[in-house]
Amino acid sequence: MPKIGITALVPPELIFACGGQPYDVNNVIPESKKYPKNKLCAWTAIWQEMLVKREIKIDSLIVVAGGDCHNALVDGQKAAMSGIPTHFFFYPFDGDHKYMESQLHSLCSFLGDIKHPEKFRQIKELKKAGQLIDKKRVNGKISAGEAFRILVSISDLMGDLDKFKRALDIKTPHLNAGIGVNRIALIGVPPIYHDFHDVAQSLDLQIVFDELPYEFVRHTGADLNEVAKDYCNYTFARPLDFRIGFLQKELEKRKVDGVIHYTQFACHHTLEDEILRQELDYPILTIQGDLPGKTPEQIKLRLEAFREMIARS
Amino acid sequence: MIGLDVGSTTAKRVKIEDGEIKFEITGTHNWKDLVEGIGKEDIISTGYFRHSVPHKASVTEITAARFGAEYYFPGVEVIVDIGGQDTKVIDVKKNNFIINDKCSAGTGAFLEFVANYFKIELTEMGRLHSKAKRIPQINNTCGVFAVSEMISQLVAGYSKEEVIAGIHYAFARRISFMIPEAETIVLIGGTVKNEGMISALRDILNKEILIPEEPQIVNALGALEYSE
Repeated sequence: MPKIGITALVPPELIFACGGQPYDVNNVIPESKKYPKNKLCAWTAIWQEMLVKREIKIDSLIVVAGGDCHNALVDGQKAAMSGIPTHFFFYPFDGDHKYMESQLHSLCSFLGDIKHPEKFRQIKELKKAGQLIDKKRVNGKISAGEAFRILVSISDLMGDLDKFKRALDIKTPHLNAGIGVNRIALIGVPPIYHDFHDVAQSLDLQIVFDELPYEFVRHTGADLNEVAKDYCNYTFARPLDFRIGFLQKELEKRKVDGVIHYTQFACHHTLEDEILRQELDYPILTIQGDLPGKTPEQIKLRLEAFREMIARS
Repeated sequence: MIGLDVGSTTAKRVKIEDGEIKFEITGTHNWKDLVEGIGKEDIISTGYFRHSVPHKASVTEITAARFGAEYYFPGVEVIVDIGGQDTKVIDVKKNNFIINDKCSAGTGAFLEFVANYFKIELTEMGRLHSKAKRIPQINNTCGVFAVSEMISQLVAGYSKEEVIAGIHYAFARRISFMIPEAETIVLIGGTVKNEGMISALRDILNKEILIPEEPQIVNALGALEYSE
């Protein structure tokens, strides 16, 4: 089974259906101790360096070059130039599902065409179960950290559908003993700190929404056509007003008390902060991370002050 | 009950006796002197080391600043806390805050760096600023690299006093980028005792700037007020 690296959300349904094993190259970053050379965003710089040095072993790479991370376009080319067979994938900015379909067909050709169409339905079922994990955490049945670790792994379904199915079966449903009363939406790219959700929870900030991982779990389809129609509404690839409209509904549904906007140093998404602050009518804390590791004390101070601020609002 | 602010460079203790504020300030390494004979049940802590010192309750510097500034100036809109290692801007009206703790250029550490370069005390900088006849433009956004610009201005013929004034303006410009729209701004933290920097900030912001009588103890006082 060829191992297919992905740099951001690429329908794993299609990769599995084409006989590949998806591997999200971002998975290794939060625990990484690397200090990459020529760095803007640490997320892309680290996977780029690791791919070029073959420290991440994959057979080919799919770079999301349009509609998500802008740095990945260049870092993906560096990986391609090092000899890794690479395909550049583009989401439609205007949500045109026909364009999306043509992108998926072109991806299929790169992957060697659909050999296991049954994978679409299997993954659709698994994502339904993933949505239940999200619901459980919204209701405080499982901890935010536990839910996040599962939801974020849906980008590649751990490269193994059986393994992912087992991971869904959480054996520790009573981790919510310390859950606080402040319901928080975490928007933007996921934090580069591996313990962020647990730290937030220890400070009585209960994360009830993870924007990007929720995109991973909510998009699916029973065949290529359905996948095209659904994934063309991947909010990170669409204009901001579309994304904000979606966010407003989710935040209301989840009854959040405040929003944490995580931004990554040198990431173009940072520029969106001003607009998100204007449009989302909630107390908002903007934080910026750079290198991976534990959540730094400076960020903890901001979280603690944010909790105090919410308590007064 | 006392308010105890143990920050990155200094520790402050505040108590209120017969309606009068009593305070003491010492170096952070001597913080224990401030709590001698005081049980943890009587301490509300704040500052960078708020969790490390004995306390009944702790509160972040951001919330403490808000309560402390309200004590002096009820209805305060914006608080700017210029500390030794960071600068915090608290928008009270919008219930928002931002902290610069990544770059030294807008913190007390930068002014300390400049004072060290000229081998003068920090407290002298304000006095020297007032003697400047011209103000050289210092543009560099990096605190460390600003020194090479300072040297260039000295070589170009500006006096030490004028270069220090230029540094205060560069510092004030840096901070002004963080400050939201407001009629009045309350400045707190040890750095605001530097009159040169305040005059530069007044000039750049063109807003009413209010400074409490003892700007350094506002957070310790705020911690105490918070507990009530």
